[in-house]
Amino acid sequence: MAPTTLYPRATLKKTLKAHANKPLAKNVDILVFLNYTLFLQEVMKEARIESKKAGERGVSARSVRKVRENCLRKFKG
Amino acid sequence: MSGSPRKKQRIGDRRLGIQDELQDSTLHDHLQQLTSILPKPSTPFRRASSAGPRLTPSDRRTPNIPIRTPGAAARTPRGGLASRPISARRAAPTTPHAIRALRERANAARTPGQNRRRSGRVQRETPRDTLRDLSRILARDTRPVRPSPPNRNTSRNSALELADIDDGPDPIPPRLSMALEDMYEDDSIHEMPPRQSLLPDIPADVDNGTIQSLEFGRRAVSEDPRAMFAARISERFADLQELGIEEEEYELDGTFINSRPQFDPDLSLQEEIEEEMEDTTMEARGLAGIRGGRHSDAGLGVFEQDEILDEPTFRFTIPQRLRTLAREEQVEQDPTVQGFSEIEDSMNLEKTLHGGSSNGSSTDHAGQRYTNDEPAPVAWESDEELDNDADLHAYREEVSAVDRSLQTESPERRPVAAAQHARRQRREVRISKFGNEYASFPAPTIKRLATSFAKIQGGHGKISNDTLTALVQATDWFFEQVSEDLSAYAAHAGRKMIENGDVIALMKRQRQITNNTTSFSLAQKMLPRELLQELRMEPVQKAKRAKRKRMQTVVEDDEQEEHA
Repeated sequence: MAPTTLYPRATLKKTLKAHANKPLAKNVDILVFLNYTLFLQEVMKEARIESKKAGERGVSARSVRKVRENCLRKFKG
Repeated sequence: MSGSPRKKQRIGDRRLGIQDELQDSTLHDHLQQLTSILPKPSTPFRRASSAGPRLTPSDRRTPNIPIRTPGAAARTPRGGLASRPISARRAAPTTPHAIRALRERANAARTPGQNRRRSGRVQRETPRDTLRDLSRILARDTRPVRPSPPNRNTSRNSALELADIDDGPDPIPPRLSMALEDMYEDDSIHEMPPRQSLLPDIPADVDNGTIQSLEFGRRAVSEDPRAMFAARISERFADLQELGIEEEEYELDGTFINSRPQFDPDLSLQEEIEEEMEDTTMEARGLAGIRGGRHSDAGLGVFEQDEILDEPTFRFTIPQRLRTLAREEQVEQDPTVQGFSEIEDSMNLEKTLHGGSSNGSSTDHAGQRYTNDEPAPVAWESDEELDNDADLHAYREEVSAVDRSLQTESPERRPVAAAQHARRQRREVRISKFGNEYASFPAPTIKRLATSFAKIQGGHGKISNDTLTALVQATDWFFEQVSEDLSAYAAHAGRKMIENGDVIALMKRQRQITNNTTSFSLAQKMLPRELLQELRMEPVQKAKRAKRKRMQTVVEDDEQEEHA
């Protein structure tokens, strides 16, 4: 299940503003966070597959590093 | 017949001894005899010493088999009992309860005991004895040998290298201690000593203003005795200009100024001056604001020659952590600087200023300017009282000196501000390509999310620190990428603001939102309720509008095609 506590909205808004250099509508950050959760899910899924391929137990940093490039490309609009 | 006497001889030889056998019989026989002779004494010793009683039960039965099979249960206790001295209970194990109890006892007694004795056997027989013997032998041999060489060496070294030893320890500890101490003590020195040095000067009027006044004073001491005048005036102007922003510090500075006997008359006049000056300074600021982008350029252009002396020192003292504060202060200072520069342009006094600057410090400029404008600069207060326009302008020009002093003083204020903002700045502050600062997404949140996903996907859900750092980096990249995309979408739509539609468009392009999945179904899946509610409050309408638009456009297209 999704985490019960909220994510730090202010931080996310700040990061988005900092990168985009534009003001955000009211609930943009929630949608972005939704997108981020999807991204993270994807990363974890791929990393798990990758780590299984490599015969590792659990998700290792190496597999995450391998996978995240592809996932970022997938989530490139 | 010949064999029998030989055998008899062998037997006799055994009894007699090994040497006789060697003489009479073949090598084979000798070896056999040796083998027969040697183990005999050795084996009984071992058994007797370590596990003499145990060997008999272990030989007779295998410990585990009878216990496991229920049918053989009756036998095991017997065997166990037989092996043990407890002979009286042989009759008892008829009842199952007793049998079990006996079994358990036997097992309990057996397993640990065997282990102990085995371990003991191993330890006692092979390694320990040999090692003990070895150690005894070696100890005797080495005792004389070991102590002698180190002692000799040390003695030789100490005798020969006394000088080196003295030199050795000295350089090492200073390196360690000095580096750290310098780091800490320098900061402390920068902060503390000025206060102490200036405290005795102010004691009469001391209020809360002591701290800030100390900072100002310290600066003045560092430069010149003449600088004192300029610094004071500058402080006053600082009051006038930045009343709104930092009232306390400057007011306190004002008190500090007033504490000095020379400037007492100024107190009464301050308010009037403030009123007049505020208007003019505000105008100047407005002009500066119009020029906008030039802040830094203008400042450099005017003060290049002057500030070369001042700036490096004050920039050195700025720790890199405090970039943000430095920026804010520079932003605050720049308009004042520009205002001054513009006033200067109006007054056409730049040339004189630069001439003065080339000669020496800022205070010198002020003095020279006054000499140029007004022949009698000696009585400063009297000039102020007159409130001539020339005086005001002259003051404004001195604002430049003020600004310099402010800039140089700013690093001293920063530690105070740094202490205030220390908690905020402990977080890692990063700077985007637009120069905006942002804190990276907090790792615990990422970890929580990632663990939840890992658990959902069927792992144990533990995430190591390395993995977490990789994920944090990935999130940073992701947010950067996403925000860039969103800003591009907003720009494409001709908007300045990033709206929900942009994110939805992005997710569509990511194939996250398809015909089957809407943003709300995804949100329902992924997000906690609080966020879901907030999402639903507004964007439902927007989404509907977007859908309608889509439908309309489609229809229109169709119609257009039909018409065409």
